[in-house]
Amino acid sequence: MADFQTSTQRAKWILSPQELVYRYKAANQRAIEALEKFGATLMEVDADGSLSYPDPQINSKDNTDKHSRSKSLSIEEEQFMRVFYENKLQEVCNNFHFPHKIQATALIYFKRFYLQWSVMQHNPKNVMLTCIYAACKIEENHVSAEELGKGISQDHQIILNYEMIVYQSLEFDLIVYAPYRSVEGYVNDIEELFNENVEMLQMLKQTASLEVDKIMLTDAPLLFPPGQLALAALRRSNEVHGVIDFDSYLDSILSRQNSAHTISELYERINSIESLVNRYTFPSEKDLKHINRKLKSCWGLGSNDESKKREKKSKHKSKKSSNEIPNMPLHN
Amino acid sequence: MAVTAPGQLNVNESPSWGSRSVDCFEKLEQIGEGTYGQVYMARELKTGEIVALKKIRMDNEREGFPITAIREIKILKKLHHENVIKLKEIVTSPGPEKDEQGKPDGNKYKGGIYMVFEYMDHDLTGLADRPGMRFSVPQIKCYMRQLLTGLHYCHVNQVLHRDIKGSNLLIDNEGNLKLADFGLARSFSNDHNANLTNRVITLWYRPPELLLGSTKYGPAVDMWSVGCIFAELLHGKPIFPGKDEPEQLNKIFELCGAPDEVNWPGVSKIPWYNNFKPTRPMKRRLREVFRHFDRHALELLEKMLTLDPSQRISAKDALDAEYFWTDPLPCDPKSLPKYESSHEFQTKKKRQQQRQHEETAKRQKLQHPQHARLPPIQQSGQAHAQMRPVPNQPIHGSQQPVAAGPSHHFGKPRGPPGPGRYPGGNPPSGYNHSSRGGGQGGYGNTQYAQGRGAAPYGSGNMSGAGPRGGAGGGGGYGVGAPNYPQNGPYPGSSGTGRGSNVMGGNRNQQYGWQQQ
Repeated sequence: MADFQTSTQRAKWILSPQELVYRYKAANQRAIEALEKFGATLMEVDADGSLSYPDPQINSKDNTDKHSRSKSLSIEEEQFMRVFYENKLQEVCNNFHFPHKIQATALIYFKRFYLQWSVMQHNPKNVMLTCIYAACKIEENHVSAEELGKGISQDHQIILNYEMIVYQSLEFDLIVYAPYRSVEGYVNDIEELFNENVEMLQMLKQTASLEVDKIMLTDAPLLFPPGQLALAALRRSNEVHGVIDFDSYLDSILSRQNSAHTISELYERINSIESLVNRYTFPSEKDLKHINRKLKSCWGLGSNDESKKREKKSKHKSKKSSNEIPNMPLHN
Repeated sequence: MAVTAPGQLNVNESPSWGSRSVDCFEKLEQIGEGTYGQVYMARELKTGEIVALKKIRMDNEREGFPITAIREIKILKKLHHENVIKLKEIVTSPGPEKDEQGKPDGNKYKGGIYMVFEYMDHDLTGLADRPGMRFSVPQIKCYMRQLLTGLHYCHVNQVLHRDIKGSNLLIDNEGNLKLADFGLARSFSNDHNANLTNRVITLWYRPPELLLGSTKYGPAVDMWSVGCIFAELLHGKPIFPGKDEPEQLNKIFELCGAPDEVNWPGVSKIPWYNNFKPTRPMKRRLREVFRHFDRHALELLEKMLTLDPSQRISAKDALDAEYFWTDPLPCDPKSLPKYESSHEFQTKKKRQQQRQHEETAKRQKLQHPQHARLPPIQQSGQAHAQMRPVPNQPIHGSQQPVAAGPSHHFGKPRGPPGPGRYPGGNPPSGYNHSSRGGGQGGYGNTQYAQGRGAAPYGSGNMSGAGPRGGAGGGGGYGVGAPNYPQNGPYPGSSGTGRGSNVMGGNRNQQYGWQQQ
């Protein structure tokens, strides 16, 4: 059977906490090196997936100046940027009334993309939109790039420009498993096992699904398989509704599945997921303002002068029309 | 902790992310050519392994990366089965690509995306077309069983193939058969609630429910195609070589009887039933026509070619059929003979010359001797097809002599008209992955009425200047011609287009054993 067990998600995209730290650090480091080398970090992206750093000569005039002014983002600041845009991503998906599945797929794409890249290299807003567009395609819920762009007043050409680099960064592993279906599966299972009343179970499921929304915004989807994320969500939901004896339910799962995990391992994982949710912080306005200023300067968009130059350059190239959109537009 | 100190990171090693470059492979030769791209035989430099590279062409895409390619990649990454072609990886070529002559290939995308497949030596159609080729009964059973096993696996995993035909069944020299070209495939949910397009499956293999306009359907559509292939293997030639949808339905009705509420409850509710219901009663003649078939084979075929999709046999049940469990049993794939592999492309030039030669000869001799066993030329459709002015297409028969060429079994486009999802005059490049321009894409449900366009029946499908040529080798990897319009119902009248399709439509030669 083709399922999570045989999936690329399981084989390639569930990392250890150490690996995750390493990947973020490595991406950050690559951007820092680019900054040193080119004076700016934002990459030009073409619809065929080809990439380039801006020509260093553009900045040569005030090169030394620039160097002293452009400070790279720290790993924590990058994290904040991702958090901000992941929330935006959920917002956009909600505004379009996309199903959970699409939102989750887009989020996971976004997270995986930034395992390979720094936000200093690729504008997270463009990546976010492209991830939504790609998720719609993959989940057979097609929305045209134009429609998507219109819905949030963005030039849809960016989406098309970024599409290939997104797929490549995902290594074309396009099927992702989100915890929503696992939640459903567990609730059905609980229904059979405990013979609970349907209304209670419905509530259990709904709250768990909201909990999954929260979990999806953390790093947890890169660290744990969807089944465990679902269990963490169910436990929190059950704490609210008190529908079942959760511990004995875990016992029963393990005894039936012949699981490789011991119950204490499973607890440990669920606790880790929960603590990721509890530790989750959204950046303050002030933080965001600060980070954005830094980011723009890294991108080489710091001074008016510079951005005008870039604009000119991009007009020459018809394909990339829109690196210049303001950076924090989506306050809707 | 596995964390490298920042300075130690080797950021210059490219790529530090994403997919490998096509430069990891050495292209050996082109083995296929389609309107949307090429298939190459290639060697992986590091391992020496031989693979097939299928290029995904991406120009003229208003919606970016083609949805059909996405589906194919997504589905193939999900499926792991010995009877399903293995997609090994996706590779990209960063720089501007040049074609063989060194000219830029005119693609606005400078780079290219390639799907890397395991290499297979033959496809079923090509193999059957080898001069003098004759399959044994255990061999047919062996191929059929593998086909059904692979298809059952797809269906269990909720994937509809939607383009089952001989040229999409690849065969290696170990006798293994694998389903390939998932360019039209998609996942389905069991409730059959989603509306799917009915413009899928190559016409000759398309089931009656799709021809009647059904947009809610399931795995049974693939089983009809399997039935067509099964009958073709036993009969020696395609059993429903329709030239357009109405004729296709008519051929089906002539053999399987006309559908009514008795044999197919609910049929009268299907969108175009009233347009197509036959005016005269037609009885099912399958048993009579194929009375020379083995009893168990006929029994299984009956169940596959059942008009009502809900009564049609499933892949799983077909595997349990008596046919596979009575003597002679299906043979072990490994016991099958090995056939020398060669590709259409290698011998193309040679054959082109030969063709010109023989064309001249043909003008003097109206009929090639090998036509002996063909349906009489008077049969409806053929003359028609011959006379239809199709731009760039040599008239009927010009391909015939090609059949005498060197062995060339790699998925000749014997060109049944394709599913024609992009009706109303396919742009010449409207094939498959570049179909976006057609607007309908693979998403919705194209209405048949559009399909007819302004042209009379079927010609909308056909006049599109069938770029079906060049579907040649490697058809199964999907550059083949599932969608190609084609200009004629009969062997010789097919396979013209753009001249690259030298092999085209030598139906007369297929299953040569019948003629020899």
